[in-house]
Amino acid sequence: MNVSYDSRLLFRHEGPLDMEVLPLLVHNLEGILQREGARPPLRRKVVTCLIELAQNIIHYAVHKENYPPLLMVSRRNDKGFILLTRNLVHYSQELFLQNYLHNLTQMPRAELENLHYSTLTEGSYSDSGGAGLGLIQVLFKADQFEYEFVPADGEYSWFSVKATFLS
Amino acid sequence: MSDLTTSEKLIIEPTFTTPEIKFDPQARHFFIGGNSYPENSLKFYGPVLQWVQNWSERHVPIPEPIVVEVRLEYFNTSTAKVLLDLFRLFEVLHEKGQALQIRWIYLEEDTEMEDAGLDYQAAVRVPFELVPVNE
Repeated sequence: MNVSYDSRLLFRHEGPLDMEVLPLLVHNLEGILQREGARPPLRRKVVTCLIELAQNIIHYAVHKENYPPLLMVSRRNDKGFILLTRNLVHYSQELFLQNYLHNLTQMPRAELENLHYSTLTEGSYSDSGGAGLGLIQVLFKADQFEYEFVPADGEYSWFSVKATFLS
Repeated sequence: MSDLTTSEKLIIEPTFTTPEIKFDPQARHFFIGGNSYPENSLKFYGPVLQWVQNWSERHVPIPEPIVVEVRLEYFNTSTAKVLLDLFRLFEVLHEKGQALQIRWIYLEEDTEMEDAGLDYQAAVRVPFELVPVNE
């Protein structure tokens, strides 16, 4: 998955990702978006979606040497920002995510909104304390959402998410 | 945080990923502010919820209102869910006859935070005020 040539790279982290690193990335990205003149609602969308995707990577991604996760934010002309993440997943996770994201991306906005609200108010927590809302939130907040799986090594694939947020 | 459930005040200092918490029943003021995206929200907030639960079970309603103020910067979705659990504990207190108000404080132009507040306002049966501020 590529970010087109008419966009400008603002932020890139490719390497180990944990809860020690994440606050530094959030702080850096917040500063960059402020300097880019992004207003608070847009900044909040980009940063909170980065937090959700990064915490998904921390909790669920396969961590293998030479296959580090990637987080990137680019400026999309003057019309917004593109957040791209990439991480390694096992084949079994790919099957789950393919099905889950296929269903989510087919939902009309109103249905997605209902799912977001019902998961918030009635859903349960995962073992890692997650609310099952992360990807729903990213889909809900982003103006465009794409994802793909690319074979990486044997039973593993790269899972990429590209979320575009318009000004 | 093992002694939280018996203390009269609950004070937790903020970190980069967890909020400042100041729950002071004597002052009738409960405050949560800052960032909230802990690695495991249940682990962080579990003792906080337990503290509120224990305190509210002992609390005898008083005429003066209790004010719960929430002013968050960045928070993750699991925090969003835990906050609702917290608000529901205050809802029970309100149903027992305690005058209570939740104030959701956010930057005026931040419509994202306003929307989050509106979701909570719709989900809990307790006076819930959206409070836009300039800075």
